[in-house]
Amino acid sequence: MGIKLYQEPKLENPVLVASWPGIGNIGIIAVDTLRGILEAEEFGEIEPWDFFYPRRVFIRKGVLEYLEFPNSKFFFKKTEGKDLIFFTGEEQPTEGGRMYAEGRKAYHMANLVLDVAEKFKCRRVYTSGAAVALTHHTAKPRVWAVPNSESLIPEIRRYENTVLMSDIEGRRGHGNITGLNGLLLGVAKRRGFEAICLMGEIPVYLQALPLSYPKASKSVLEVLCRSLAIEAPLDKLDELDQKVQQRIEEFYQQIPLEIRGQLDRLKHMTYAQPAEPGPITEEEKKKIMEGVEKFFKKGGGGG
Amino acid sequence: MSQGYPIKIYKGVEFRRSCLVLGWKEDGGNLGRKVTDYLNRKLKGQEFAEIEPEEFFPLGGVAIRGDLAQFPESKFYACPEHELVVFQSDTPGAEWYKFLNSVLDVAENHCRVKELYIIGAMVSFSAHTTPRELLTVVNSAEMKTILSQYDVARDMDYQTPPGERPTLNSFLLWIARERNIPGVSLWVPIPFYLAAMEDAQAHKKVLSFLNQRLDLKIDLSDLDQEIREQNEQLALARSRFPQIDDYINRLESNLMLSEEENEELIRRIEEFLKEEA
Repeated sequence: MGIKLYQEPKLENPVLVASWPGIGNIGIIAVDTLRGILEAEEFGEIEPWDFFYPRRVFIRKGVLEYLEFPNSKFFFKKTEGKDLIFFTGEEQPTEGGRMYAEGRKAYHMANLVLDVAEKFKCRRVYTSGAAVALTHHTAKPRVWAVPNSESLIPEIRRYENTVLMSDIEGRRGHGNITGLNGLLLGVAKRRGFEAICLMGEIPVYLQALPLSYPKASKSVLEVLCRSLAIEAPLDKLDELDQKVQQRIEEFYQQIPLEIRGQLDRLKHMTYAQPAEPGPITEEEKKKIMEGVEKFFKKGGGGG
Repeated sequence: MSQGYPIKIYKGVEFRRSCLVLGWKEDGGNLGRKVTDYLNRKLKGQEFAEIEPEEFFPLGGVAIRGDLAQFPESKFYACPEHELVVFQSDTPGAEWYKFLNSVLDVAENHCRVKELYIIGAMVSFSAHTTPRELLTVVNSAEMKTILSQYDVARDMDYQTPPGERPTLNSFLLWIARERNIPGVSLWVPIPFYLAAMEDAQAHKKVLSFLNQRLDLKIDLSDLDQEIREQNEQLALARSRFPQIDDYINRLESNLMLSEEENEELIRRIEEFLKEEA
């Protein structure tokens, strides 16, 4: 159970950008898109056997040809600004039938990813995921940023369209990040890496749908690119978003009118002064949440 | 313990060049359990090792089956006169790679296993009157050549469909290949309405192959009696219940039943066979 490097590129103080699938696949789509745009080169992987059950078997003419496991791969890109290491995992290693990684395997995988980062003298790590929020799918998703060190807060404050947990209504700076996108941040702190998790907002009523949410991936990438001083065309995400928005709209129309009416009010939520209450009252937020929960309990979210 | 794996060896066994036959307890048609039990009974298999359950099974309580509390077991039996090792186990729920490697560790390091035979049932939408087939998937060209001498299907093409995962048998076969152990997965399609019960014809199909291939010299005539009895019971069910007969007639004519009809046939056959038992 370990790391397999196919080559050892010469990198100067690289930054690690890592992600695994999660709600709306927001983080993984963001990281994978950037990796693709920059044409980063694969240079290693984490061997899957001990972490994952195989995904597919290929049998041809009675002979087992191939067993496919979820990939956990490293890529690198030398750029003029910063050298980059990408890590993308196709699945989170889970135990006991849970959806997100936790426990011994997750901790081990987080450490293996950071072992590679350390080997190449990387000191900064970005992870990415989803932030389930009271927002509307027609609104531009904000990015919630969680650093693992106080010293990173001034930098985050300079990012556009980005909030800290203390800026989010009713959160008072608290929350949690489920799975490896969060755990890596903590393990990085323990091992002395500075790290930031960038989470794109996804409307609360979409979190259980088996759909990606590229609009939020784009918000994440805008922040990430700025932080890394990289210019990357993100049109591809717009195209993807158009397709998904159509399906979201179809789903949205299936929501009972009474609940949809409540959700429509989220369109008018503004964040001009994020630390202050928006135009929707706490009582109204509660009503919206109750309506959404009721709808999903009735099985309306299967669509 | 062996190589850090959770293996418990009770007593030493001596083999020169053995084969391992593996069956899971929760197999369709009770295939894995019946075949491995049968081999142990006929060949006087002696339990000699086990894999400790704590890492591989959820131990938050006990399952109850047939009114009895169960506990997961993964046991090895030796039949040295026939150069045969039998492994019978509950299906692990975690750490599959480690579990399957543990099985092969015992096989290789303690029993000099040179060939692997994995038993598995697959659900079929055919009637029980259709003769059972033995489908094989091998992990080496060498094994495919060996199988050409037997009455088995050897040309299966398959790819895991979206949303599904490979079987544990495929996982084991792949690990065996990585360890250079030639192996074969033996698959018997079992009529869906017998999958939760027993299928004597399927048991015999696998055992006949193993008997021939491993030169075990077992008299299998008692299985013919079981097959006769099961066929008689199913014939009785058809004669007493026109609905059952109609469903099975349609299956015999290669017609598909609806999902509701499938469920009803399963329920009625199970009820009937339980009452008769």
